[in-house]
Amino acid sequence: MKPPLSFKIGIISVLLVALFAVLNLTGFSKEIKNFFYLISSPIQKIFWEVGERTSNFFEGISETKNLKKENEDLKLKIQELEVEIASLKETKKENEFLRKALEIDLKKDFNLVLAEVTGEDLSGDILIINKGSRDGISKDFPVITEQKILVGKISQTYDNFSKVMLITNKESAFNGKIEERDYNPPTTSEVPAEGRRVEGGLESQPPGGDWVPIEGVVKGGGNFKLYFELLPKDKEIKEGESVITSSLGGIFPKGLLVGKIKEVKKSDVEPFQQAEILPIFDIKELKNLFIITNF
Amino acid sequence: MKKIFIFILFFYILVLLQTSFLIHFNIFLSGFLGGSLILIAIFFINLFEKTEEKSGLFLAFFGGFLLDIFSENLFGFYILILMVIAIFIKFILKRYVRAPSIKRF
Repeated sequence: MKPPLSFKIGIISVLLVALFAVLNLTGFSKEIKNFFYLISSPIQKIFWEVGERTSNFFEGISETKNLKKENEDLKLKIQELEVEIASLKETKKENEFLRKALEIDLKKDFNLVLAEVTGEDLSGDILIINKGSRDGISKDFPVITEQKILVGKISQTYDNFSKVMLITNKESAFNGKIEERDYNPPTTSEVPAEGRRVEGGLESQPPGGDWVPIEGVVKGGGNFKLYFELLPKDKEIKEGESVITSSLGGIFPKGLLVGKIKEVKKSDVEPFQQAEILPIFDIKELKNLFIITNF
Repeated sequence: MKKIFIFILFFYILVLLQTSFLIHFNIFLSGFLGGSLILIAIFFINLFEKTEEKSGLFLAFFGGFLLDIFSENLFGFYILILMVIAIFIKFILKRYVRAPSIKRF
C-alpha cells in the first residue's frame, strides 16, 4: 500500500533536519566547503579578473570627464607626499640610530604571507582567499594590501582557504586614531613631555610634536560602510583626515591606514561624536593581499 | 534526470558568477539578498513547471545547497528558504491559478 503523502513529507523533513544537524554540529560542513572552494577556485579567479577588467572598462567610460581633474589633483598630491616622505626618511634613520644607541629593540618587520582573492562570500563583507590552515594561517590574523592598508582579519580557516572579515563587516570593531596633521618633526630641543594637553583649538596649535591623537572605535556598518564612534566631543574633526589603527586593544598592529573621514555627525544630545569613514581600499581592486602572521 | 543535472551545473556557474564576477559591479546586481540570481531562477523554474512534477523542489534543494556552501550563515539556511519558496509557489499554482504551464518543460 502506498504510504500517504503526509507520511512521505514527514520522512523527508526528518531526513533534512538530520542532515542539517550533522552538517552544522560536526566539522563535516567545513570539509565540504573546502572541497567546493578547491574545485571552484580556478574558475573564480578567472571570473574575478574578468570582472575587474570589465568594471574598470565601464568605469573608465563613465568617469572620463572627471579623470582629467582627478589626474591633476593626484599629481599635486604626489608631489606633496614625496616631500613629506623625504623628511620622514631622515626621521626614520634618526629613530633607528637612537634605538640602537639606547639599546632598545629595533621595530620588527611583519612576517607576511601572500594570498589571492578568489571571491566574496554571499553574506557580504567577507572575502575568500586561497591560503588556509595548511599555509600557516590562523584565525584573527590581520590582512592588509601591498600598501599597508588595513583590509580586515581572518575570520575562519579551512584547509586550503580562509575567509577574511572586512573591516566594513558589521561585526568588526577595533581602535583607531586620527593621524597627525601637518607633521612637523620636533626639533631636538623641544621633545614634548608625555601627556601634555594642548589648550585651544586646532588653529592655535604650536608646531611640533604636541598633537594629542583623537582616539575612537572604528566599527563596520555593512555594505562597505565604516563608522568612527565614541569620539570625544570637545575635539574638532575635519573631513579628509586620515584614520590609522592605534595600538589599543591589540586587535591590529598600530600604524595601518584605515580610511579618511567623510562626514562628521555631532549632536547635542549624544555624549560622543560620530563620523563616517571612507575606506581607502576598493573591494573591486583587491587581488593580492598580505596576511600578517606575527605582531 | 538530465534536466536536473543541466540545471545544477547552471546554478553552480551562477553562484560562481555571483561571488566573483558580479561583486565588481553595482551592489544591486551582486544581490541584496545573497544569491538573488539563483532565487530568481528557482522562482521562475517552479512557476513554469507542471505542479505535479517534483524536479522544481530538487532544484530548490540543490540551489540552496550551493548557496550555503558559499555563505557564512548556518548551513541549511538557503536550502530551507528556497525549498519553502518552491513549495509555496507550487501550492499557490495548484490551488488558485488556472494558467497553462509552458509545455516545453
